[in-house]
Amino acid sequence: MSGHRVDAKVVMLGKESVGKTSLVERFVHHRFLVGPYQNTIGAAFVARQVQVGDKVVTLGIWDTAGSERYEAMSRIYYRGAKAAIVCYDLTDSSSFLRVKFWVKELHNCEEHCKIYLCGTKNDLVESDRSMRQVDYHDVQDFADEINAQLYETSSKTGCNVDELFQKVAEDLNSTAFQLITEEKGVDLGQKKNAYFYSCCNH
Amino acid sequence: MQTFLSGQQLEGSGVCFFGLKAILSSSTVSALLPARSPPAPSSPASREMSQKSERRGIHVDQSELLCKKGCGYYGNAAWQGLCSKCWREEYQRARQKQIQEDWALAEKLQREEEAAYASSQGAQSQPSLTPFSKFEEKKTNEKTRKVTTVKKFFSPSSRTAPKKALAARLKDSHEGKTPSPSISRQSSIETDRVSRDFVDFLKTLQKPGREIHKQSRAFIEGMANKKDLGADELSECVQDFYQNMSDRLMTHFKGSSERVERVMDQVEKYIMTRLYKNVFCPETTDDEKKDLATQHRIRALHWVTIQMLCVPVDEEIPEVSDNVVKAITDVIEMDSKRVPRDKLACITRCSKHIFNAIKITKNEPASADDFLPTLIYIVLKANPPRLQSNIQYITRFCNPSRLMTGEDGYYFTNLCCAVAFIEKLDGQSLNLSTEDFERYMSGQASPRRQEPEAWPPEGPCGGSSPGLAQVYQNLELLTGLEARQERVLEGARSLESDLISWQESVEREVQQILEKYPLEIRTPASAIDSDNVENDRLPPPLQPQVFAG
Repeated sequence: MSGHRVDAKVVMLGKESVGKTSLVERFVHHRFLVGPYQNTIGAAFVARQVQVGDKVVTLGIWDTAGSERYEAMSRIYYRGAKAAIVCYDLTDSSSFLRVKFWVKELHNCEEHCKIYLCGTKNDLVESDRSMRQVDYHDVQDFADEINAQLYETSSKTGCNVDELFQKVAEDLNSTAFQLITEEKGVDLGQKKNAYFYSCCNH
Repeated sequence: MQTFLSGQQLEGSGVCFFGLKAILSSSTVSALLPARSPPAPSSPASREMSQKSERRGIHVDQSELLCKKGCGYYGNAAWQGLCSKCWREEYQRARQKQIQEDWALAEKLQREEEAAYASSQGAQSQPSLTPFSKFEEKKTNEKTRKVTTVKKFFSPSSRTAPKKALAARLKDSHEGKTPSPSISRQSSIETDRVSRDFVDFLKTLQKPGREIHKQSRAFIEGMANKKDLGADELSECVQDFYQNMSDRLMTHFKGSSERVERVMDQVEKYIMTRLYKNVFCPETTDDEKKDLATQHRIRALHWVTIQMLCVPVDEEIPEVSDNVVKAITDVIEMDSKRVPRDKLACITRCSKHIFNAIKITKNEPASADDFLPTLIYIVLKANPPRLQSNIQYITRFCNPSRLMTGEDGYYFTNLCCAVAFIEKLDGQSLNLSTEDFERYMSGQASPRRQEPEAWPPEGPCGGSSPGLAQVYQNLELLTGLEARQERVLEGARSLESDLISWQESVEREVQQILEKYPLEIRTPASAIDSDNVENDRLPPPLQPQVFAG
């Protein structure tokens, strides 16, 4: 099974303008551009392969609309997601309140989904400490409580971006591999018989 | 056997051929045909009948009640005045004839398909019938077309197919299990084409290809029996089949996902084209009701504007409105496709056009925050037919791996979100007060008239409908033209007056000069020198002299 591909759905959640799209753009194209950029027609969905050991994990990254008017629909987005990156703006405390909403939703609806917290715009905080409105330790406590990973990233400098997605891919790889081996051990023979059985009956 | 076949034909919708339902219907038919009743006057049924006719004062002659064949038994209007025995005989004969005709036709089709198949080995395959005649045939069979076309596809992947097919059919008919061959007529052109493509594709796989074909066919036949199941059970059957098939392929291709995926795409295409009629918007669900509800809802929301949804698209730019129109066309086209994957492809194309429109307007790539509102706007404008049915169909019968992870899945999810949003939409989500929303929904007011001072000055740029914007643009153009014409006229007039006054001034000047220097014409003197007083002092004029010599 060494050549088996792992495809996984990763959703980006977070309030409008916290920088979800920039984060994805940084990860996929290794760039952060202010103003118009021409090469991509859309950054809402991207698929990218990440090397984990001797395997290749394909991440399908789903951007979501963060506006509150679409809140009721958000569970359609993360249905079947293997991982969720919940973003908040380090310079905007209100964006962190929304993180709690999504974490609760995810726990209720999609319990197998791994959660990653991501504080964005770290570069702004680095250059001016007074800009920080969300305390690192508070979030770390919250992350421990919900069993999530925490990263503070900057799409401008690229700080922690690759680390975040690498971690997502590694976790996915380990869980996916377990699932595949389990399934293989139990199911195959039975299903085969059942199929033939139902076929002969007609 | 024959009896139940005829029962099916009578119903006009012979839906399934072997298995439970067929057997059931055969038993109902025989139950409906009671034992012959001799014309014994003591029989309670006939006594009741004569009593009834007496009560109503209609006299029915005894002979009219008898079988028209004159066998001495009573006839029945439901059997065209025949008794049960004569009716059966008569009916049997008609059926036999029809069945024979059907067989002949089925075999003819079979041969043609074989021929087409054989010729496709060397050159490209050619249609066995001209498309037009097929089309005609399709039209006449419209009513009974629901019948699944199983028979038609009797193993064309193997060279010995016709013989085998015939043998199989004969054997089946001995066992009393075969479906009526008439069904082979009802295949549509598309189904034929898909089947041929499928076979062509499987040929490249050689031995496993035959296996795949066999299983797919068996599966479709099996599904024909399960018609009465609910949509969810049907979906489960199909998904189980996908799972089984891909598991086996995975073992066969030693885990090469790409090849498995390619084969699975073809399998999905083949199976779903065949099953489409029976499983799209089935009667067991309320899909159709939901379709109508959504359609009404979208129609009621006709007044929603780009501004209310915060759509980052400027339709004033021709290229953008071009993309918007294409997106609308694509999302409407979705309904015409049969295979879930093709439907998904329509959604993806629609989404790509939306991204283009946003990109041209904003000059930067779109994020989901831009994309979703625009998609909602497109759905509102397009009002795609049978939207809910299509979504349900894709959810139930698409290969799940594509729906969960791929790009298609992403756009499909967004479409689901858009539909959910449209269903739940209220004033708050459009930044309107509840009262305003209610008024617009009930059609008492429209948002444009609501703010009269905002819209006439906005005119050409803020007009909500392109037609109005065009009118305003034209009006403005006309006003401009009028002003220019006015200017030209004024210029002409001033030029005219300039010319007149110039002429006058010239005349005046001339007059003045004339007055200043009056012209006196004196008669000229007889000699030039007559006035000259000094003349006398001048020497005499020179006289010519002649010199001798």
